[in-house]
Amino acid sequence: MAEALPKPVPRLLSSPSRRQFLYRLGAIGGVGAVMAGLEAFGMSVASAQTAPPALTGSGAGKRVVIIGAGVGGMTAAYELSKLGYQCQIIEARSFAGGRCQTARAGFSLTELGGEAQHCTFDDGQYINHGPWRIPFNHQSTLHYTKEFGVPLEVMVNDNDASYVLFEGGSGPLAGQPVRKAQVAADMRGHTAELLAKAVRGNRLDVPLSAEDQEVFVSYLVREGYLSSRDLSYSGADGRGYDLWPGALTEPGPGRLSTPFPMADVLHSKAWRTLRSVAGFSQQRTMFQPVGGMDRIAAGFAAKVGHMIQYGTVVERIDQDDHGVDVAWVHAAGQRGTTKANYCVCTIPLSVLRHIEAALPDATKQAMSAVAYQPVGKIGLQMKRRFWEEDHFIFGGHVYTDNEDIGSLSLPSWDWQGAKGTVLGYYQFDAAAIKVSAMTPAERAEFATAFGQKVFPQYRENVEKSFSVAWHRVQYNMGGWAEWDEEGRRTAYPVLCQPAGRIYLAGEHLSYLTGWQAGAIESAWLQIAKLHHQASA
Amino acid sequence: MPAHVVIAGCALAGLLLAGPAWAADPAGEGLFVANCSACHQRNGQGIPQAFPALAGDKLVQDDPKRIVAVLLNGRGGMPAFKTQLIDEQIAAVASYVRGAWGNHADPVPAGLVAAARTEAAAPVADRGLQAH
Ligand SMILES: Cc1cc2nc3c(=O)[nH]c(=O)nc-3n(C[C@H](O)[C@H](O)[C@H](O)COP(=O)(O)OP(=O)(O)OC[C@H]3O[C@@H](n4cnc5c(N)ncnc54)[C@H](O)[C@@H]3O)c2cc1C
Ligand code: HEC
Repeated sequence: MAEALPKPVPRLLSSPSRRQFLYRLGAIGGVGAVMAGLEAFGMSVASAQTAPPALTGSGAGKRVVIIGAGVGGMTAAYELSKLGYQCQIIEARSFAGGRCQTARAGFSLTELGGEAQHCTFDDGQYINHGPWRIPFNHQSTLHYTKEFGVPLEVMVNDNDASYVLFEGGSGPLAGQPVRKAQVAADMRGHTAELLAKAVRGNRLDVPLSAEDQEVFVSYLVREGYLSSRDLSYSGADGRGYDLWPGALTEPGPGRLSTPFPMADVLHSKAWRTLRSVAGFSQQRTMFQPVGGMDRIAAGFAAKVGHMIQYGTVVERIDQDDHGVDVAWVHAAGQRGTTKANYCVCTIPLSVLRHIEAALPDATKQAMSAVAYQPVGKIGLQMKRRFWEEDHFIFGGHVYTDNEDIGSLSLPSWDWQGAKGTVLGYYQFDAAAIKVSAMTPAERAEFATAFGQKVFPQYRENVEKSFSVAWHRVQYNMGGWAEWDEEGRRTAYPVLCQPAGRIYLAGEHLSYLTGWQAGAIESAWLQIAKLHHQASA
Repeated sequence: MPAHVVIAGCALAGLLLAGPAWAADPAGEGLFVANCSACHQRNGQGIPQAFPALAGDKLVQDDPKRIVAVLLNGRGGMPAFKTQLIDEQIAAVASYVRGAWGNHADPVPAGLVAAARTEAAAPVADRGLQAH
């Protein structure tokens, strides 16, 4: 399969500083170290996926039926039709995008076993209740935002000024909203002080020369904002001021805040929010489409919308040596069959399991090896942006150890606007299941009660809400595929193989599960295989 | 990850005192309401074409290994509970389901769950502060 694909150019490699770094790495550790270094940047030639496969030849005269107008299905349709294939997309929902959807006025959702929710947010207010961010390293998603001219803006994925509220710890900081910068400055400052003093006092058995120990101490002094005189930590301006610096003599220089004692921070457990760097998929720069994630769906639909047959639920997939028959029922009750030479099926496995499909037993067996992630979100429209106006927090997340909330997020759009829509919770697993048993009104109350602990202005400003529990959403039955090691080893490779004329695609067939990039890149790789087979 | 502590810490304490009496086991019922009812519904009737009914279900009342395997590993839209519930909780909720709504099957001992785990109670994957 790999030979059919072009070798993507590892673009970022052209930066001279990185190249120098890699050369130096090579000098020390040889080629293996260079390759390992590349892997660390996610840039090995084999794994980079930055552009669609450059396929040659023609698909003219061949029909492909694509099931699902999510990002994966629309990618397949868009790229295959460029090659001349005649594509038709069959989509159960009345709109394009699949999980790539945004709730704004007019959007409706009825969960399985739930009551109907109709979004009545004000004009301009929205919540990305599905996908909401695009990391800089998802070059496949960014390939299409660029190609379709979908404007992006930065999503604030980390905010020093935001609050941390940990209730499970002890001590004076437990249950108090504390600014993240204060937790970070104090934990790192106190740690650096302990370590620097231990190194200086020769109380650590470290494999460093005397000279290197001094360099290490210099690093700790910088990292922890220590006094170079006595290596003590007594705060840093980055943790904020009790009185902000300003003009003239009053406030003049302002008054620095005082660090929390190390034991208080330790006991609060708020340090759990700290890590050397964010995980690869959560690093800055983080983007979002201006106006809502569904602008990506709209970008695709502008190109392939005319190929989509909406409101049409696939009930059965047959195939023989000559082609594929896809039987469907339209919302109006009418039944029909679409015939094609090939099929790209992007139905989530949780749903596909229950559709009669001419797939080998091994494929069917493999489908039961993966479970889908329960996940919930709620959008709360606020009368005013009190987090900006009263707390000076612009975007980012409020972290908590309350798993039933997960995290609370502030919008990275319409800064200083009149109103705003807050993500009131974002939880997973058993927490998402538990909350999803509540009615929409109960969920809103649950989210409001928590937010009130962080912001005293919360409750009085909640105006409208819209919530989703993806494990109860028809045609998805789960947020995304959650592979375990065993499933990756045994079932996943089976599903990646074409089953006769049927190619499965979607986020579930990637190591980027739960990301649009996974859907796009699986479609890229599968259509390359399809084209190969069709051209043979 | 302390999810199970939060969800059913007190239910578990109840279980240890209550012993393995099915049908009326309050710990099992509490676990079912919190962890299962959002999909299978309180009355175990499920939602047609989405969430199977557990009342009268064959698998549920079959060899207990089957329900335990489904609960641990999940399957499609049925979430995996192996990182969310401990052995005693899985046994309690399985026992409840096997005895509720007219079902009639023996309770499931926690030892059976322990034996069925392919790996030791795997910790929840470290998701970091934000995920997806
Ligand atoms: C809460 C949440 C947060 C997320 N956050 C992010 C994020 O920040 N960034 C990011 O990039 N990704 C994120 N994702 C993941 C992203 O949304 C998905 O990976 C991606 O949209 C999946 O695309 P897909 O084409 O594989 O599947 P889908 O979008 O699910 O498409 C499948 C399509 O098949 C259709 N279908 C199903 N059954 C039938 C049938 N029987 N007949 C006909 N059609 C059918 C469905 O209606 C759907 O349109 C998030 C997802 C969730 C749920
Ligand atoms: C997110 C929704 C959801 C939750 C929560 C959930 N289930 Fe399920 N369950 C499903 C779905 C969907 C299936 C069918 C899965 C498949 O085969 O595709 C299922 C299948 C099952 C089955 C197998 C039934 C059969 O005959 O094959 C059992 C048993 C079961 N669930 C028990 C439970 C129990 C007990 C809990 C709580 C601990 C629970 N479920 C929680 C959705 C859910």
